[in-house]
Amino acid sequence: MPLRLLKYAWKKSEDEPRFFPEEKPLKTSYDVVIIGGGGHGMACAYYLAKEHGITNVAVLEQGYIGGGNTGRNTTIVRSNYLTSEGVKFYDESLKLFEDLSTDFDLNIFYSTRGHFTLAHTDSAMRTMRWRAEVNKHHGIDSEVVDVDTIQKEVPYMDMSCNGQHPVMGALYHAPGSVARHDAVAWGYARGAQMRGVEIHQKTKVSDIKTKSGKVVGVQTDRGFIEANSVVSMVAGSTPRITEMLEIETPIEIFPLQACVTEPVKPFMDTIVVSGSLHVYVSQSSRGELVMGASVDPAELHSTRSTLDFVEGLTDQMMDLFPFTSRLKIMRQWAGMSDITPDFAPIMGKTDVDGFYLDAGWGTWGFKATPISGKTMAYTVANDRPHELIKPFSLDRYANFELVGEKGAASVGH
Amino acid sequence: MMRRLSPQPLEWINRSQSVTFVFEGEEIKGFDGDVISSALWAQGHKVLGRSFKYHRRRGLLSFANHDINVMLQTADTPNVRGDVVQPEQGQTYKAVNTFGSLAQDKGALVEWISKFLPVGFYYKAFYSPKFLFPKWERLIREMAGLGTVDTSWGERRQPKRYRHCDVAVIGAGPSGMAAAIAAAKQGVDVCLIDENPYIGGSLDYQYANEEALEVTRDDLKTTIAEMDNIQVITSAFVAGFYGDNWLAVNSQQGLIKLSAQSVVVATGVFEQPAVFRNNDLPGVMNASAAQRLMARYAVAPCKEAVVLTANPEGYRAALDLIKNGVVVKAILDTGCGENSWSVPVKQAGIPVFENAAIIEAKGRKALQGVVYAVNGVQQSLDCDGLLMSVGWAPAGAPLYQAGSKFAYNAILEQLLPQELPQGVFACGRINGVFEIVDQIKDGQQAGMAAALAVQDKSVPDFTDYTATRAHSHSYPIWQHPKGKEFIDFDEDIQIKDLKGAIAQGFDNIELMKRFSTIGMGPSQGKHSNMNGIRLLAKLTGKSIDQTGSTTARPMFHPTEVSHLAGMRFRPERLTPMHAFHQQAKAKFMEAGVWLRPEYYATESSREASIAAEVAAVRNAVGLIDVSTLGKLEVFGRDSAELMDRLYTMRMSNMAVGASRYALMVDDSGVVIDDGVAVRYSDEHFYVTTTTSTSDSAYRMIQKKVIEWGLKVTVLNRTGQIGAMNLAGPNSRQLLSQLTDLDLSNEAFPYLAMRQAKVCGVDATFIRVGFVGELGYEIHVSAQDAEHVWQQIMLLGESFAIKPFGVEAQRQLRLEKGHIIVGQDTDGLTNPFEANMPWAVHFKKTYFLGKPSLVRLKTLQKRILVGFELLSAAADDMPLESNLIIDDGEMVGRVTSIGRSATLQKVIGLAMVELACSQVDSELTIKLSDGRMVSAKVVKTPFYDPQGLLQKPQESALGGAA
Amino acid sequence: MKFVTCPSLGRRALSEFTFGGRVEKETDQEAVSEREWAEYVFYHNGAPKTQQEWWYHRPTGIWFLFQRNTLTDSITQVDFANKGLTNDA
Ligand SMILES: Cc1cc2nc3c(=O)[nH]c(=O)nc-3n(C[C@H](O)[C@H](O)[C@H](O)COP(=O)(O)OP(=O)(O)OC[C@H]3O[C@@H](n4cnc5c(N)ncnc54)[C@H](O)[C@@H]3O)c2cc1C
Repeated sequence: MPLRLLKYAWKKSEDEPRFFPEEKPLKTSYDVVIIGGGGHGMACAYYLAKEHGITNVAVLEQGYIGGGNTGRNTTIVRSNYLTSEGVKFYDESLKLFEDLSTDFDLNIFYSTRGHFTLAHTDSAMRTMRWRAEVNKHHGIDSEVVDVDTIQKEVPYMDMSCNGQHPVMGALYHAPGSVARHDAVAWGYARGAQMRGVEIHQKTKVSDIKTKSGKVVGVQTDRGFIEANSVVSMVAGSTPRITEMLEIETPIEIFPLQACVTEPVKPFMDTIVVSGSLHVYVSQSSRGELVMGASVDPAELHSTRSTLDFVEGLTDQMMDLFPFTSRLKIMRQWAGMSDITPDFAPIMGKTDVDGFYLDAGWGTWGFKATPISGKTMAYTVANDRPHELIKPFSLDRYANFELVGEKGAASVGH
Repeated sequence: MMRRLSPQPLEWINRSQSVTFVFEGEEIKGFDGDVISSALWAQGHKVLGRSFKYHRRRGLLSFANHDINVMLQTADTPNVRGDVVQPEQGQTYKAVNTFGSLAQDKGALVEWISKFLPVGFYYKAFYSPKFLFPKWERLIREMAGLGTVDTSWGERRQPKRYRHCDVAVIGAGPSGMAAAIAAAKQGVDVCLIDENPYIGGSLDYQYANEEALEVTRDDLKTTIAEMDNIQVITSAFVAGFYGDNWLAVNSQQGLIKLSAQSVVVATGVFEQPAVFRNNDLPGVMNASAAQRLMARYAVAPCKEAVVLTANPEGYRAALDLIKNGVVVKAILDTGCGENSWSVPVKQAGIPVFENAAIIEAKGRKALQGVVYAVNGVQQSLDCDGLLMSVGWAPAGAPLYQAGSKFAYNAILEQLLPQELPQGVFACGRINGVFEIVDQIKDGQQAGMAAALAVQDKSVPDFTDYTATRAHSHSYPIWQHPKGKEFIDFDEDIQIKDLKGAIAQGFDNIELMKRFSTIGMGPSQGKHSNMNGIRLLAKLTGKSIDQTGSTTARPMFHPTEVSHLAGMRFRPERLTPMHAFHQQAKAKFMEAGVWLRPEYYATESSREASIAAEVAAVRNAVGLIDVSTLGKLEVFGRDSAELMDRLYTMRMSNMAVGASRYALMVDDSGVVIDDGVAVRYSDEHFYVTTTTSTSDSAYRMIQKKVIEWGLKVTVLNRTGQIGAMNLAGPNSRQLLSQLTDLDLSNEAFPYLAMRQAKVCGVDATFIRVGFVGELGYEIHVSAQDAEHVWQQIMLLGESFAIKPFGVEAQRQLRLEKGHIIVGQDTDGLTNPFEANMPWAVHFKKTYFLGKPSLVRLKTLQKRILVGFELLSAAADDMPLESNLIIDDGEMVGRVTSIGRSATLQKVIGLAMVELACSQVDSELTIKLSDGRMVSAKVVKTPFYDPQGLLQKPQESALGGAA
Repeated sequence: MKFVTCPSLGRRALSEFTFGGRVEKETDQEAVSEREWAEYVFYHNGAPKTQQEWWYHRPTGIWFLFQRNTLTDSITQVDFANKGLTNDA
């Protein structure tokens, strides 16, 4: 029994200090307005206050804290990316993740499980090796492993994949982890609030006002708020925000779905991903298998669920784990993914003075929560992009300087 | 069978057939038609399961197909629901999530330390020191989870069925039945779906003993049986209500995918438990659970009962109890008062206490009595059954999923649907209609409207049959100083937990849910969300509507993976020569959806086999199956224009009878495909694509034809044409014996195309040089391909022919420095980087991606070069994707590598930064184990740089056979 | 599952179709500036709206143009993409 729990025996749980302070009245002016109360928005607010002493900050959230993709994601955290830019960036994020529980004084259940990306074709094997080599070059624990090693770690996996797409090897990333998504958002939110940041839920930004090319404030359903710095951290709603400033981006919104089974006792300790089968799975600390696939086939700004998704996912999952056929799917849901052409984010300053963008998080942005908060806070505080995010600028496309994480997805032939 | 009653008028059991099974080591006898829980209860069992967190003893609660108090494990299935599943003869069942046994569950120790485990306790501990977290997590994980999985279980798949109907009615209670009949009477096709094995719904358990309704019941059921256009689907629930009225109906035999034009939702309501101390003691159950037990399975819920009620339904349940010989010691009425059943209840001598409040249930292993207050005065009664009849929540998942909203009706104290989407209707209790006669009328109007909507006729106004009195208690929650009042039985959540969550600021419905986990268990809040909302509303001083509710997502009930997956259908394509390859010991590899020979296992090892194939091509002749290439035919006035626009090279100036390399980039200038184009006539081209892009390239080209408004037809001939490449010094001689075509250099020069017969069938010949030898690609119709292949192989014996696979071809082309799109290029590679500037004809006014290429040419930073390894010991052979390092920095990577038997060197291609791309530049390659090896940049092709071998002079051929 | 009313085949499952992106007019390659071309290739307004889109019917190999709202997913018009073009070149 951890000592920390002993105190609860002596007091009523209602007497537990408030986790979130009472909401303050909305002011008419702030130094910085952050649109979006997901993990990224909360993290940015936290680091603005903690590292830059900027506390006159409001986070405006149309729904509730973490109610966007943050609360819908399958929480895989890893840094075994393909490009140097990506690897360095995500690696910093992992380092921050490891200490978040202590920083927050809140257990985010950061659980290091090991992460297998299976290869079923020789071209996939080449891509895995490419990633492994780049990763190792940057000091990331990442390697290509053979079938025997996989079988030893995941003995219950059908390596023949029902005889059709036998597993040839995998990229193994020991630091691959999962975490409690809500707790990450809550931890940042509380940390930010304790330092003076205000979080306003059920407050929707409907317009952003500029004066001679400079941001002057945001219109909300609770009135106009002045601010010279506005940060958009709205993931799947990005095009609706950028439209307010007539900024065009390469982002397209595609639904991304996930589902869980009924809880069962733990048997799966690793995270398994198969690009060829378009599935990935881990077992949550509650015992549910948390499973996902690739994005839906067409652009859509909606979080409705489809039958096609669960049908396809369960069918493919059985190739790897035949015994899962005896489980039951309990719940499915969807988020809106903000996809970019090079599968890398868009971060930093924009052509509109005082308007900062953090978007293009697609299917991969949960793991970036700490580092994007930190680097965006730096960028806002200094009005200058942080070194780590320079490659992710919005104008890189116009300059034909794409980041090329898509290379990892380009496994034709 | 201690609690089995005398036969009930509508019982579901077949008393002539018994079923025996084992539960927790004890033999149980039930009847055919029993569910596991009813058979257990009949035999006197009250403790049927243990709770999730504290391992408290649990009995029946809702008994309405979502009672996760009773979840069982068999040898081959976890999480079997006791209130849904009929026991299998001879099967062994065990309660899930017990440590030891159900009776002696060591997990119950958790309750002793429950003081230390308040809501969200796991957020507040276990993370410091960090190294201990994995141990704590392991423990927490072991404690969580319900059933267990045996990973050696094999795959199960249930075929799916498709169905179409005009009107789907979900729920076959009185209003659903009436709706189905009314719709069918309009002449449309109706599907009536119910999760129970029989239709009837509440009419058959809540009103089982209501003689006045017998005629109505018989009427509804016979009409349904008689109408040909009503299909009844029972033992099946709508797991998900998806877009465009696409219903996933999960039956025991598998998933039915039902497409309906309109849908009537008559799913009724879930009875909600009262929340008070020890409300989870076995013996405390919803009144409707008791009624189901009696009416369906003829099982007495208890011997002596107390009924806690806020509505008329509680009185009805009391009458059912006494009819079946159960003593009803009291009705504790919390505010219902006079109603049509209160008179017979009083006549039967049952004491009714108005203004009652429940204080606690008492008992050790099961209910032994209740403590309650009447007008504030505390009293108690002994009893072994406590029926809770305090209200209802909509079974609204299908409506939520369809996109409708709910709003609170303060008279009924119930959420009612608002703004139904087009083509979706609701009726019955979900609509707040409680009198049977009204439910039938409400069903009729919904069914009628649904049918009219299908027929595109206008729908008459609806009459409102909503009840005018409350059927739910506005706040059925009675806190006790000592706690243990359960709101969510799945998750063991008590009042204090929610209060704690709210007090800490998790005070909106979503945050409260996520922090406390209310509604997240297997029943997905069916018995807990409503009480959670009521509590939150009360504590925050908001209305129910302001408080809102969480979304009810699919699945309605957890749905078997085997049903959702259905049968496995993963098409694979085989070439016309597949049978030959198999006989010739081919090792196959996947290439997109195709299977291709990677090599033929003719020698002792893979390497030796491949080497033999390579040697055959270089020294004699080889034959490879290239039928998997995409093959497109382009006809029409604008075909030359189309070809010019699609490919980076000019195609319009190609002569008839010629071929040309065809390279394609996308709008952003990235290489996406390559192949060979030939010109049959001025307005007729034929072009190949890489294997995996054939479908997408064809699709894209068709689209471009439309976009560009060209007069041209494109046909995808991929599956209709078989193709093979005959290559090697002996190829001409061999081929000359099978065709009349003049194969001389003059008549059929390098890169030319000819059409002629081979082995008696029509063929297209292309003189290609991909592998760097004299070679002919031969395209024939798919049905002739195997014949041609066999003939070549047969005759080829005297020319030392060998079939060769993809791997040998890779090595051969590497010696020529030819790229493979997707291997030597990545998701961003442009033609300049691929070292093919010659393939880009900027003089053309227009082609796909041209402006990007103009730009990219000036921005070039890297290039594909050939290299040879300087040291070539067997164990320092780099692998494809190994990095090239310069001064500690990554400057490139190996894209292809191979040991060339022909050249006796290790050669490869690498994508490197321009700075190190000069011929003779030294490259340092980092092996996977971190060691470095040296290589130097060399000119490509490595083999036969002048290309003399692929276009030899006639004289040079000699009698190589 | 969504259903589509095809002008010749009637009600078809949307899963028979492959999404081909929104209909966008290509800028004139010759007159275009670098920036304009980059905008054509990469940048757009991705906010929800009703737009014209390419959808390919796999079983028949025919391209269609849909009017589809990317917020509600409702498809309000379905046309053959090559309407006006003859197919008999
Ligand atoms: C199903 C699924 C699985 C995923 N799995 C993973 C994974 O395993 N690993 C991983 O790293 N990533 C994963 N992702 C991606 C990841 O969830 C996101 O990239 C990440 O959560 C984005 O965080 P965010 O804070 O930027 O956005 P969000 O959490 O979406 O927050 C944005 C917030 O902005 C609010 N908002 C929008 N518009 C306005 C407005 N006008 N005014 C006020 N507020 C507004 C929204 O309500 C929302 O709360 C997954 C995503 C999904 C959908």
